Amino acid sequence: MVEQQTKQVFTTGEVARVCKVSQQTVIRCFDSGKLQGFRVPGSRFRRIPRDALMRFMKENQIPLDQLDSGKKRVLVVDDDEAIVDMFSDLLARDGRFEIATAKTGYEAGIITEKFRPDIILLDFKLPDINGNAVCRTIRANPTYEHIKIIILSGVADPEEVEELQSSGIDDFIRKPFDIKIVIARMTELLSMN
Amino acid sequence: MFACVESQHEQSAPGRERVALVLGHLDQLPTLPGVVGRLLQVTSSEESSADDVVNIIKSDASMTAAVLRLVQRADLGLHGKAMTVAQAVTLVGFRTLRNALLSSQFCSVFADDSDNTEAADARCELWKHSLAVGCASAMIAERGQGGRWVDEAFVCGLLHDIGKIALDACLPKSYALVVKQTERRDECICDVERETFGLDHTAAGKHLTTRWGLPECIVECAWLHHQDPNTLPSSVTSVDLIRIVHLADNLVRRERIGYSGYQYVADLSESAKALGLDSHDIDSITEALPDRVKSFCAMVGADGLFDSVMDTEALIAANRQLADINDRLARDNRDLEIRSSYFSALEQFIKQAPPQGGIADVCAAAAQALAQLVKSRRAMGVWTEPATECMHLGAVDLTDGRIDTLVVALTNGDVAESKNAAVDGADASWCCPAGSGLIEAPITIESIWRRCFSDGFDERLWLLPLRLGNGAPGGIIVEGSPATVGKLSGSTEECELLATAIAGTLAATHQRIATGRMSEELLDHNRRWQAAQKQLVRVRSIAMVAKMAAGAAHELNNPLAVISARAQMIVASCDDGETKSSLEIMLDQTQRASAIVMELMHFAKPPQPQPILRRLGDALESLCQHWRGVSSIGADRMKLMVVDPAATVFVDPIQLREVLDAVMANTLDATSPETAIVKINSPSHASDETVRIVIEDNGVGMTPKVLEHAIDPFYSSRPAGRGRGLGLSRAHRLVALNGGRLRLDSRPGKGTTVRIEFPARAPGS
Repeated sequence: MVEQQTKQVFTTGEVARVCKVSQQTVIRCFDSGKLQGFRVPGSRFRRIPRDALMRFMKENQIPLDQLDSGKKRVLVVDDDEAIVDMFSDLLARDGRFEIATAKTGYEAGIITEKFRPDIILLDFKLPDINGNAVCRTIRANPTYEHIKIIILSGVADPEEVEELQSSGIDDFIRKPFDIKIVIARMTELLSMN
Repeated sequence: MFACVESQHEQSAPGRERVALVLGHLDQLPTLPGVVGRLLQVTSSEESSADDVVNIIKSDASMTAAVLRLVQRADLGLHGKAMTVAQAVTLVGFRTLRNALLSSQFCSVFADDSDNTEAADARCELWKHSLAVGCASAMIAERGQGGRWVDEAFVCGLLHDIGKIALDACLPKSYALVVKQTERRDECICDVERETFGLDHTAAGKHLTTRWGLPECIVECAWLHHQDPNTLPSSVTSVDLIRIVHLADNLVRRERIGYSGYQYVADLSESAKALGLDSHDIDSITEALPDRVKSFCAMVGADGLFDSVMDTEALIAANRQLADINDRLARDNRDLEIRSSYFSALEQFIKQAPPQGGIADVCAAAAQALAQLVKSRRAMGVWTEPATECMHLGAVDLTDGRIDTLVVALTNGDVAESKNAAVDGADASWCCPAGSGLIEAPITIESIWRRCFSDGFDERLWLLPLRLGNGAPGGIIVEGSPATVGKLSGSTEECELLATAIAGTLAATHQRIATGRMSEELLDHNRRWQAAQKQLVRVRSIAMVAKMAAGAAHELNNPLAVISARAQMIVASCDDGETKSSLEIMLDQTQRASAIVMELMHFAKPPQPQPILRRLGDALESLCQHWRGVSSIGADRMKLMVVDPAATVFVDPIQLREVLDAVMANTLDATSPETAIVKINSPSHASDETVRIVIEDNGVGMTPKVLEHAIDPFYSSRPAGRGRGLGLSRAHRLVALNGGRLRLDSRPGKGTTVRIEFPARAPGS
């Protein structure tokens, strides 16, 4: 289940399970062009990308439960393990969020592509690149346009804060913080209320 | 000489008595044998014949014998053959015979039979001199007068000093004194004779020859041979003979044949020229003279008496060398005397020049040394210093012992005139050819002289340029008479030596002062360098604080965030009130810790000020109201006084308030709320460039040690945990950022005064 929620490419048998129809129906739809996909080069095996499947299910009013849990996906990026653990506990306890974590800017990029988070809680001072650079990279990709970014940092220099705010973030919260304020800002940005 | 004679007429009564006494003595001298007188008269007459002479000689047996002896000695080739007087007269010529006879007769008249050898030697020398002058006169007449007057010239020359011989014969002791005194005083013998006897030997000669009835030409020569022949009156008949005898007398004295009592030699060229003789003629006569004297002596039988004359040539040569040596020694003596005066001046300069004095003082010492050298009363030394564009003057006035020193700048304002003077001096005056010694000062020097001596100068100004390398940056100026300076000018080498020593001392003084000045500058630079270093250390430490604060903010805020968040999570799920309360304390403390980090960061890197122009009075009024409220100290004890409400201040208003709040917080910390008196004043006016704020309290004050560190970051005199010690330090930093200044003045137990200055308006407005 969880696997299907993060899977990017599906076989016809997997699509039949997600959509709760027969495999033959899926093959017919694929062959008629109703379900977009491709064949594996050198064979006749059919493959359907996640986006095409989502589109097909929405068009045919098939419930998305099997693909989407309904929880908001949160990527927590911080090199401080205690911070990451604290957020994991906090957000798990809240119950409305799915969580992925990264310790470096590079790792954050890879996980963003796989996990497709709805919101990123980003530390400013990372071991490889700074948070504002990560932010700029994500903002440069239109696919990730919908992702909300909150920077959480212990920096006190007003000039640095100003610079961060101009790099395309949605909010800046100074550490240490009030957890109620952090959750409030997240739900607000994700229109969860 | 006429003047001398006339002056004798004007003598006082005792003087006249003395002359009469001397003349009386002269009259007592034995007359010439009558036969000599007759012989002179006969031989002087144009009409006499040889027979007249022969008869006169024959009339006197002794004279006959003398003539025959004379002829025998004259080596006329007779070889002992007998001869008559007539033959002798024919053979020798009666004039020659007369001269010989005259000479031998004179010799016998003044012969000295005393035992006084010294006097006898002197007389012998005088006799030699007379004979030589006779011979020389004859030789001059032979050459210069075409052979005329030869015999007369001999006789006149022979008898020219008859007065001396007579005076010596009459008053030998006095005359010996006259000779000694003449030698000692190096004067003309006539002057000494007149002083001693009331008359000189020329007057005595005239008296004697007249009395003896000798021919007029002999009388005149004896009387006037010291007189310049060109100035003789027309009544004198024997001018040429006098001229001849005058020349011969000087010639013989120059050749030092015999001794006439003194050695003064007049210029021969004038007399020689008047007689038609040139220098070659004089040289020939000089050369032949010793032989002539020698042969004449042989003829008159004076060989014994004139032994020394026989070696005349050697003697003359020796005499001449001796005279040359004497002259040279005298010259050297004079030179040494001048040199010694230069060395005395140098010694005096070295003694006077103050070892630690300024350039002008050394100039004054040099001026004093030169003034004494030139025997002047006023002098001044001048030294220009191109590096500092200064002219140093040192002047002395020995009459009142006044010493003036003066330093004149050459660059600005009122010195333009003196600059011109100095430039003139440098161009036209100091720089004269090397080795010229003391020169007459150019006119441009006068203006420099008048700077110290406004009344000018009495005689003339002289300049001794002081050379250094290729230039002459100064000189010594002295007033003096040409005569005094002329005496010194011969010794330019010593003069240059003195100038070089003075210039060297001045250059050394200049160097010493420059080195001293450099040391002072070095010290000053060192002081400023140390202050800059202190400031640098301060800036660096603040930069380090900033860096540390930035790192700390990140590093501390992460764990604080974890602590805080975990605590919040527990609080949210906790029902136990006690645990909840503890957790809330933890939360507060994490916030406090975070605030400290923020404050550090803010101190290390304050925001750039955004200054605006506003009324200072308004800012102070608002400050007062706030702190009166906070401290509950009323307006009666927290007094505000703004002298000019229109006074403005150009600062970042937030930072101004931050500064004043920091100061007020310190003030209230240092005072007791019950007794505190705080005065907030602004004594500035609207027109001032800078506004001042003075905050004064009557609190505990600070010790000098605390005061020294009061604005250091993290320095606090309060107990641990009561402050981070950033208040005043941050205020000081913000004031500096806004272009102002903050100063503290405090005394323990008396209170503290904080003085703050800010620009009153925007720069350039």
